[in-house]
Amino acid sequence: MRDEHVSEPAVRVASLLKVFDVPEREAGLVAATKGLLRRKTREVRAVDEISFAIEPGEVVGFLGPNGAGKTTTLKMLSGLLYPTGGEARVLGFVPSKRQRGFLSRITLVMGNRNQLQWDLPALDSYELNRAIYRIPREQFTPLRDELIELLEIGDLVRKPVRQLSLGERMKAEIVGALLHRPQVLFLDEPTIGLDVTMQKRIRAFVADYNARFGATVLLTSHYMADVEALCKRVVVVHHGRILYDGPLAGLADQFAAYKTIGVAVGNGNADLSRYGEVIHREGDWITLRVSKAETSSITARLLSEEEVLDLNVEDPPIEDVIELVFAQERPE
Amino acid sequence: MTVVPETVPSREAGRVRSMVELYLATMRLAITEQFQYRTANYFYMFGMIAEPIIYLVVWTTIADQQGGSVNGLSAGYFAAYFIVWTLVRNMNIVFGAPFWEQRIREGELNRDLLRPVLPLHYDIAYFAGWKVVVIVLWIPLAIGLSLLFDPTLSPNAQQIAAFAIAIWGAYLLRTMFQESLGMLCFWTTRGAAIFDLWMTIELLLSGRLVPMPLMPDWVQELARFLPFQWAFYFPIEALVGDLSNTELLRGLLAQVLWILIGLAIFRVAWRSAIRHYSAVGG
Amino acid sequence: MNALRVSWLYFKLGVLNELQYRVNFFVSLFQAAIALVTGLVVLSLVYSHTSELNGWTQPELLCVLGIQILMGGLIRTSIQPNMTRLIEDVQQGKLDYALTKPEDAQVLVSVREVRVWQAVDVVSGLIVLAVGLSRISTDVGATDAVAFAVALVLGIVLIYCFWLVIATVAFWVVNMWATVELFDGVFQTGRWPVGIYPPWLRVSVTFLVPIAFAVTVPAEALTSRLDWETLAFAFVFAVVTFVATRRFWRFGLRRYSGASA
Repeated sequence: MRDEHVSEPAVRVASLLKVFDVPEREAGLVAATKGLLRRKTREVRAVDEISFAIEPGEVVGFLGPNGAGKTTTLKMLSGLLYPTGGEARVLGFVPSKRQRGFLSRITLVMGNRNQLQWDLPALDSYELNRAIYRIPREQFTPLRDELIELLEIGDLVRKPVRQLSLGERMKAEIVGALLHRPQVLFLDEPTIGLDVTMQKRIRAFVADYNARFGATVLLTSHYMADVEALCKRVVVVHHGRILYDGPLAGLADQFAAYKTIGVAVGNGNADLSRYGEVIHREGDWITLRVSKAETSSITARLLSEEEVLDLNVEDPPIEDVIELVFAQERPE
Repeated sequence: MTVVPETVPSREAGRVRSMVELYLATMRLAITEQFQYRTANYFYMFGMIAEPIIYLVVWTTIADQQGGSVNGLSAGYFAAYFIVWTLVRNMNIVFGAPFWEQRIREGELNRDLLRPVLPLHYDIAYFAGWKVVVIVLWIPLAIGLSLLFDPTLSPNAQQIAAFAIAIWGAYLLRTMFQESLGMLCFWTTRGAAIFDLWMTIELLLSGRLVPMPLMPDWVQELARFLPFQWAFYFPIEALVGDLSNTELLRGLLAQVLWILIGLAIFRVAWRSAIRHYSAVGG
Repeated sequence: MNALRVSWLYFKLGVLNELQYRVNFFVSLFQAAIALVTGLVVLSLVYSHTSELNGWTQPELLCVLGIQILMGGLIRTSIQPNMTRLIEDVQQGKLDYALTKPEDAQVLVSVREVRVWQAVDVVSGLIVLAVGLSRISTDVGATDAVAFAVALVLGIVLIYCFWLVIATVAFWVVNMWATVELFDGVFQTGRWPVGIYPPWLRVSVTFLVPIAFAVTVPAEALTSRLDWETLAFAFVFAVVTFVATRRFWRFGLRRYSGASA
């Protein structure tokens, strides 16, 4: 079997391209009949020549609005889709060849799709996975029990899956997906539709799993919280292109041209609009938006000209930054 | 101060007009959709013609073995009967009872009840549009089958006219009864068994297996008092057989009668079904 | 082979699944009864007007009916539910989980589903077959019985290939809701020995949709009509078709991976 050198990236992508031919049609009878003779198609570049590399053990978040190309990228990396162009390598394998060695080392968890048997207890599905992945029993049972304990679903795995709540089902799915101890985890919107507590639970688990087993994790999400909690590195995808690839903290630096200053003044009715844009006012606390360049000078002026009780300078909330990023028009 | 005399006629006329518009719009929608799925529709029709072809072959074989005819029906007659059968069979496919079960189960009924029109109208209109597509797709099929099986078919104008009306009569007739049957789904989830039973009886008494004259006498007697053969055997016979004008007219009237009976049953069933549904909470 | 172990596990799970829904058993029973009654009615109607059909007597035709029902039961137990699920998965893009497992995808999609209660048709068909056999004047020899079993297996293989080809076509023609109706309709041709059909139909239900191999050939074996050349041909045909079907499946899979979003 292939052995990976320590310096070899777990995932390597070069100029990856995926183009779809989407049929175009208008409404109405006339257009429908015309469609009989001629099909008009439109080319959509779902993934537009992206490149990146992921080291073993990294947890990387792919962030982007719906239709950005993140799920398509994930599908190409897990072997489900053939790339139209470019190259992808996971653990040294070419994913689209779908070799057994490759498939045994990865796992795919999709937030809105189940793979467990619906009417049977999860334990039965786990046995099935054991047979499919050919996991020896001595290795299977302790790992399975450990995962069940970590996710606290001990009394749930004997109930038919359809009786579990959405969050419980997700936990059971995750256990099933990790029984073969994969080295690369592809998580496609894993927390979608779950309540906040459950989302936190699952994020904590993924972080724990990564720390314990050193698995590489690729996570797609449009929940900022997922990425903030788990990923030191984030890849922002939009219109099939990578807009940003680096630490989360640096996102604001690159995209947000402003900062917010929160200030509590003695005079609650003070009009601070000459310092910057007032975006929030609550009791004594006023929040101003100012351009990055002017932050220090405005702060200085505030301190000298107003009766400042407390002052706070912050990067804009990540959600706002992301919103700005996503709002960018597709470059032509 | 009432202004009723002027407004009532136009309100009625307005309601009729909007109903007609609804029907036309729904039919247009159905035609567009089903034309898009023409491959699937053709698949369905091909699967369906296997049945009549089998019967056709079996009975023409018997006819040939018996020296040309069975009970006075020639091989050419059988060919014609079963080719026309394919169209009539399709006209008989209506928004049936199993759909009702699905409608209720998947919660679509709640949405449909919010519409200001009886679901019945939508069902009839949609399937009517679909039937238009089916008729169009059927013609090349019928031509092909005629080339393969050599039917004896020479209807006069009245027979063709009666046939054209009768296939739509059959459609409405079967709709009424199937929709009524569908009402049972409000009370039980085991509707499937009842439908199967009904379908089997229908199968044996409608002329779908064989032309009615080939059935034993007691079966033919029984079938006269039931609606089934008016939706299947009669339309085929109108085109393929030797019915006189009086007989054609009588058949069409029988269809009308059964449609009205079916409609009456449906209204009663619908009203009590809705009452039950609202009481139980859906 | 691991494929066998996985298949067995899926079968066990399928049985476990179905046992929970006892009502399905009664529904299947009811439907089997109805199908049987209809078949018998037609048969008796036919034989009220003639004494033999194309050289086949009524008890022999009863055997054909029995085999057709039996085969139908086998098909609806395993082949059909898997293939219809495959078509549905392709239409809805849900094949992903089957494709990311390190087991051959064709095996997985062929054994995932089991409808145990459809086996009542197998029982019903065997009963009809037994009744028919008991009424035939000549006995069934040992060679005939073996030929029958072999022919049955070849028939199943060919029907499986046929269904898989149809399901693979779903990779291109995405809307295939009428496949079951289509198949059931054509499968009805198996009620009668294919010799009675006009040549173009006979060829279609032999090579296009292998009904002849599924029903008539086993029936011929049982009624001492089968010559070993036909059986040998059936064997070769089955092997060739199996290989070609697998090739086609893999071709379709590549297409699926290139075309879905």
